[in-house]
Amino acid sequence: MAGIDGRAMNGVAEVDGGGGMFGAEARVQYAALARLRWHMFMNGLRVKKGALELGARTISFVFFVAGGLAVGSGAGAAAYFITAYGGWRYLPVLLWAVFFVWQMVPIMLASFQDQFDLGILLRFPLRFGSYFLLYVVFGLLDVSTILGGLCCVGILVGITLAQPGLFAWIALGLGVFAAFNILLVRAIFAWIDRWLAQRKTREILGAIFMVLILSLQLLNPALHREKHKVATNPLGSANREEQNRLQAQEYQRTKALFKDRYGPWLGRVNAVQQWLPPGLAARSMRQAHSQLPGSQVGSLESLGVLGLFVFAAGSVLGSRLKSEYRGENLGIAPSASKAAEVRAREVQRRTGRAASGGRPGGSGPIAAVIEKELRTLLRTLPLIYAIGAPLILVLVFSGVFIKSGSAGGVFPMALPLCLVYAQLGFTRFFYNSLGAEEAGIQLYFLSPTPIRTVLLAKNLFHSLLFGLTLLVAGILAVLRLGPPDSMVLLATMAWILFALPSNLAAGNIVSLTMAYRVNPGRITRQGGSQANALLAVVVQAVAMGVGAAVFGLCWFFDKMWIAIPVFLVFAGIAIYLWIRGLGNADQLANRHKDSLLATLMKAG
Amino acid sequence: METAAIQTYGLTRRFGALTAVEEVTLSVAPGQFFGFLGPNGAGKSTTIKMLTGLLEPSAGTIEILGKPFGAGALDLKQQIGVVPEGMALMGRLTAPEYLRFVGRMYGLDKATTNERTDELLEFMQLANESRKLVTDFSHGMQKKLAMAAAVIHGPKVLFLDEPFEGVDAIAAGMLKAMLQGMINRGATIFLTTHVLEIVERLCSHVAIISHGRLVANGSIEDLRAGVASTLPGSEQEERLTLEEIFLSIVGAGGQQEPAQELSWLA
Repeated sequence: MAGIDGRAMNGVAEVDGGGGMFGAEARVQYAALARLRWHMFMNGLRVKKGALELGARTISFVFFVAGGLAVGSGAGAAAYFITAYGGWRYLPVLLWAVFFVWQMVPIMLASFQDQFDLGILLRFPLRFGSYFLLYVVFGLLDVSTILGGLCCVGILVGITLAQPGLFAWIALGLGVFAAFNILLVRAIFAWIDRWLAQRKTREILGAIFMVLILSLQLLNPALHREKHKVATNPLGSANREEQNRLQAQEYQRTKALFKDRYGPWLGRVNAVQQWLPPGLAARSMRQAHSQLPGSQVGSLESLGVLGLFVFAAGSVLGSRLKSEYRGENLGIAPSASKAAEVRAREVQRRTGRAASGGRPGGSGPIAAVIEKELRTLLRTLPLIYAIGAPLILVLVFSGVFIKSGSAGGVFPMALPLCLVYAQLGFTRFFYNSLGAEEAGIQLYFLSPTPIRTVLLAKNLFHSLLFGLTLLVAGILAVLRLGPPDSMVLLATMAWILFALPSNLAAGNIVSLTMAYRVNPGRITRQGGSQANALLAVVVQAVAMGVGAAVFGLCWFFDKMWIAIPVFLVFAGIAIYLWIRGLGNADQLANRHKDSLLATLMKAG
Repeated sequence: METAAIQTYGLTRRFGALTAVEEVTLSVAPGQFFGFLGPNGAGKSTTIKMLTGLLEPSAGTIEILGKPFGAGALDLKQQIGVVPEGMALMGRLTAPEYLRFVGRMYGLDKATTNERTDELLEFMQLANESRKLVTDFSHGMQKKLAMAAAVIHGPKVLFLDEPFEGVDAIAAGMLKAMLQGMINRGATIFLTTHVLEIVERLCSHVAIISHGRLVANGSIEDLRAGVASTLPGSEQEERLTLEEIFLSIVGAGGQQEPAQELSWLA
């Protein structure tokens, strides 16, 4: 009787035709998930700003595709020349570059990518194999995998064009290499997410990550300085041939020195790297190319070892996902002794405070918002990183400007360019100033403090931070490049007086009308608004474009002083627009209150 | 005639074609503990959002303490406290920092804010957690903090949207005592909750909303008498619980279909 068999009745029996991760039930689940992703995408466009969002996404997509194709073509061209000109020993370098792009880009881009949390699927009767497969398949849509995949395709095309007979071997080698990268990057991501699921670990790791990235960025100027010493050797008025001869001599001398100093060390590195995945993949391809007897067996051996790495990466990923699949508890409740310790500290703190009286910060809503913003910033490493990283990069830029100058000079517009770069870190502060408030946004609408006061306080805080950052950037640039021309310095300051209120004025409007929810402490799984990002880029580009045009013209006509009043006039207009915008902020906020509250308070 | 603490006339809110709240007219007297009840999706939270300035009404007017209320009525916002649906917390602050922030946003001076913050943290049993970020709080602790933030400026009218959800029995008892104390000192409380026992114990007056329309409004005794009068003779003698009154009113008029049996469930 149909009514008795529950499984037949509830429809389970219809799809339980086969087990395993490719069985009928699993296939139904995959289809449901694909449909879910499609609905999520389409529903994302159903909001009022859907058309704008779609347009912004399309533009971003075109940029990403163009960038990806350029990188892939570059890898292909490099592979072609390596093959055509017998430079096989350089193939590992290319594959290591691809490997680093593949593994580093996802971490770099994690803040900007909208990640789908597959953990939500665990409430369903999903097999572990299916969960694993879905986790890997979703990874195929990551920017890094697309980029790495394009590089592999480029290398395959490049080598095949140079030597068509190698197609099958190269395809096999690159295929195993790609499988390793896909599994490894997903394993890394899974582990990072596991660690970042706990706030404290997240912050510690954030600090380590920040230090690591900053250190890597510092490497560049350090290396650049060495190179610069060679490139800007004073040649006086010697003719071009003499210059070239001296440079060639210098190059040979440096090369010999480098070989002597680093040769043995590089030999050891090479011996190790050829047993690591990029080296193994390169070795298998190189052996396939060789005409020596037994070389193809050697190629298969290399691929076999690489296969072991693939298995290891898969196991690392599998062990992580298995824990997730079994349902781990990431709670971080403090132990009883810790709680007692906290209690004791609190009593001590309060007693001490009573004696000293008062707490930092002034009174009133503006001081309250500024204090709150400061506390939030100090507890949010990704935000500190957003401000700090461009400062470090100023050092990198400054090296470029030294090189650009003739006869060891410095590019006259170096300071404004350094400061322009340093201020880019503020985009997310200006253009999504309410994005990190989450449910706290309600308070601004509930309290008797007008929204314009809240925005004014945020603007003041961001301006102060902006000023300090540019001051530090300016000092760094001056230390590295020497003091700038006084007119350039004054004109740069005038440009800042124009750029800051321009960004604040536009940022306040965009923050109220196109806010998106961010979790400031989280690196991964952030959903962004492409429309917001696009508008921010447009306003920044206009401010920079105006600056570049005025600076360029004044420099060309050698009348730099004119830039100062011009920028001051622009600054006056921008300040007027900013004040006017603040005046209308409450009206605008009330008009967009529903969508603002819904967006910032939505779950996940 | 005494001015109502909360008064609405024809309060309506539409979301496109959907009318979430329709022509709600109600009056809450000063010092009243008022329960606002309704099934899921009936329009309770939408109404409370309009009453607190979080949502613009499509039509109708609101008066709080006798004055017209809207998003721009900042002086009135000073007089009201709210525990909204999303609690309005800020995860990256600690509880004392958050309360001090709220106090200053409501215009309290620094000394008063600090004093009240310490008192509220003690009262809500959150003083031991003062170094923990709000984001690391349990749901119940967050509710207590939201309640503390709603009362830090000593509001005359308090709006509470599900304030007891996730709060343990001890804390709930403490909160009830605090709210009762506020009522005794003349404050007005507008409460929405699904826990009808709490409403029955605390509230003197109740309104019931269903499908966006107000279907009952009055003292619990009046509602009880009204519902009892519709029952057959023998049942009129029994004292009805608020749950029975609620089910009787919301179920009446075809508002709630009798539950169909899901025969495929085990």
